[in-house]
Amino acid sequence: MSSDSAADPARALRLPPPCPHLVAYRSGAGAGLRSLYRCLRRRPPLGRPEVRRDPGEVPRCGSCRDGGARLYACLACAVVSCSLHAPDHAAARPGHEIAVDVDRAELFCAACRDQVYDPDFDAAVVIALTSLITPRAPPTQLGNRAKRPRRVEYRPWAPDEPERAVIGQRSSPLLVQEGNASSSSTITTVNSTANATTTSCATSSAPLPWGLRGLNNLGNTCFMNSVLQALLHTPLLRNYFLSDRHNHIVCQQKSRKKTSAKERSNGRDATGGLQICLACDLDAMYSAVFSGDRKPYSPARFLYSWWLYASNLANYQQHDAHEFFICMLDGIHEKEQDPFKPPSHVSSGECCIAHRVFSGTLRSDVTCTICGFTSTTYDPCVDISLDMDSKEGPQKTNGSKHQINGNETKSASMNQKPGTSTLMECLERFTRPEKLGADQKLFCQHCQVRQESLKQMSIRKIPLVTCFHIKRFEHSSMRKMSRKVDQYLHFPFSLDLGPYLSSSILRARYGNRVLVSDGDDSDASLESLSNLELFAVVTHNGKLDAGHYLTYLRLNSQWYRCDDAWITHVSESMVRSSQAYMLFYVQKILYYKASGNAIIS
Amino acid sequence: MRASINRPPTPNPDEEPEKELSVQEIINIKLIESGEKEKLMELLRERLIECGWRDEMKALCRAYARKKGRNNVTVDDLVQVITPKGRATVPDSVKAELLQRIRSFLTSVPLEAL
Repeated sequence: MSSDSAADPARALRLPPPCPHLVAYRSGAGAGLRSLYRCLRRRPPLGRPEVRRDPGEVPRCGSCRDGGARLYACLACAVVSCSLHAPDHAAARPGHEIAVDVDRAELFCAACRDQVYDPDFDAAVVIALTSLITPRAPPTQLGNRAKRPRRVEYRPWAPDEPERAVIGQRSSPLLVQEGNASSSSTITTVNSTANATTTSCATSSAPLPWGLRGLNNLGNTCFMNSVLQALLHTPLLRNYFLSDRHNHIVCQQKSRKKTSAKERSNGRDATGGLQICLACDLDAMYSAVFSGDRKPYSPARFLYSWWLYASNLANYQQHDAHEFFICMLDGIHEKEQDPFKPPSHVSSGECCIAHRVFSGTLRSDVTCTICGFTSTTYDPCVDISLDMDSKEGPQKTNGSKHQINGNETKSASMNQKPGTSTLMECLERFTRPEKLGADQKLFCQHCQVRQESLKQMSIRKIPLVTCFHIKRFEHSSMRKMSRKVDQYLHFPFSLDLGPYLSSSILRARYGNRVLVSDGDDSDASLESLSNLELFAVVTHNGKLDAGHYLTYLRLNSQWYRCDDAWITHVSESMVRSSQAYMLFYVQKILYYKASGNAIIS
Repeated sequence: MRASINRPPTPNPDEEPEKELSVQEIINIKLIESGEKEKLMELLRERLIECGWRDEMKALCRAYARKKGRNNVTVDDLVQVITPKGRATVPDSVKAELLQRIRSFLTSVPLEAL
């Protein structure tokens, strides 16, 4: 459609200019196009708009009695014509050029023989469709930040005299390493793929990016190492900790004061006076990893704290990386809660850095298939879990050329392409309206009874960093077992979540009409905020109960493979062919591309 | 300008004797009356989206519009271009399923008119 909407900050669809017949109609019409909502109604179950008709009435062309495909009802005299005879009707009667498609509620100009667009008519469609839908979601669900936060212009910062003095006094410069000259370095720049490309050769002499440091495996802890590597290089999280926003010394002092003031009735003081704070251990890790020392780091302190926090997972067995990720975010959230500040809702991200970075909002619409009433709920989320298509890829229709000779060979009609799917397909499936089965009837407030419903998900607010979790396991209720899905998933390095936003999904639901008057003006609808860049991929190899996690990190436009203590520079194609389990994307405006000065990463 | 002036004369009921309706038309009316046609349409839509047919057609339309130039394309053009391709590429499984549904509908509804 209108691909030049990038210039339009409100992302509204720009209408093509009206044809002269439409202009003439608009200036002449008595009642106006907007009042046509009385002639429209929604057709259950999906609520498509159509022209009102008596039940059982079959609209037919006035000239040829054809009841089939596209029928147009003249706006001036209500005569129905098929696409063949509509131009005759228009030619015979001036002023009768504009008609409406009876099944699709789209305007048509019979003289120009083409579809035309009008905002008043689109408004009529929306009015007709939304008469049964609740007007707006209660704003209190999103906490006290219902207002759009003000956007400030980006202004680059440079220190002034007193600030420069402070920087000079209170910091020690980190030494820049020349290539891999350091003998204790475990980072190799050997290209692990078969064909050495020129780009990798060129960067083998460039200084390695900061923060690249192996993590020792402490006993089946690759699930932890892989997620930690991704988090260590999550732009906002890294900046937060490196700018000392959570200082572990200060935090420990504060909590020690708190426990000595309170009575020691808390069972957790078995740690001997030190409070568990995952953020403190993370802070220590950031300092160690970004110190410039390239020897592999052992996150033992962090592991110990995490065991104390998640005692049910405190063992040397293999665990799920995603489970660890969620657990860790919860751990950071718990400790950051300040009892003196008013509790803020998780989706606003005001509670802790974990939610500030990862928290987004999902919108779920449940529509009754009988009456069309839709109820909407907003839920905060820290990641998006996507199903993989358990069948072997979407069925392609390429095999149908066998139809010509009339033979239906079994192989042709199967039409299944083995094992590829893409992230976009998973997202499309995620936001597709899903018919809930007859055994899952939900209560409809309008019908006051349980009815079969349609559920549709969409993304209301994109988090600053989006984590996609690919559900690579399927349960077979028949065989009563679960297995891992090894199917290859293609994922892009740059992703536009625009079509999966609530605003886009709503607009599509109304047939791409101009107005989406649902009171839903999320600031995520700004074009720039829906473009994301990939920066980390956590991959898994192996079976459901035993396998190995790796992380691929994108720094300075180069890819590095982090396999516990071993870090290697790899090519893009290696990353693309890996089996993605968790994908980390950051909003493009926050993404640091390689700058000319490779020292600053 | 009064709307009644432009309205054509209401069709005379004598002009459409029932016995002129073909079997196909009778079945169509029965399908619509019982609401089955609506269900079949939705089922067909679902299946065609699932198997990627709709996306293929969309891609064809886009390619055609790009080739002809965005402002030189009309709905009629597009329909003319993609209808044959569209009809040919509907998967057999979808056709079979819908035929089955129609068949079972026909056996379940008494057709006194026939």
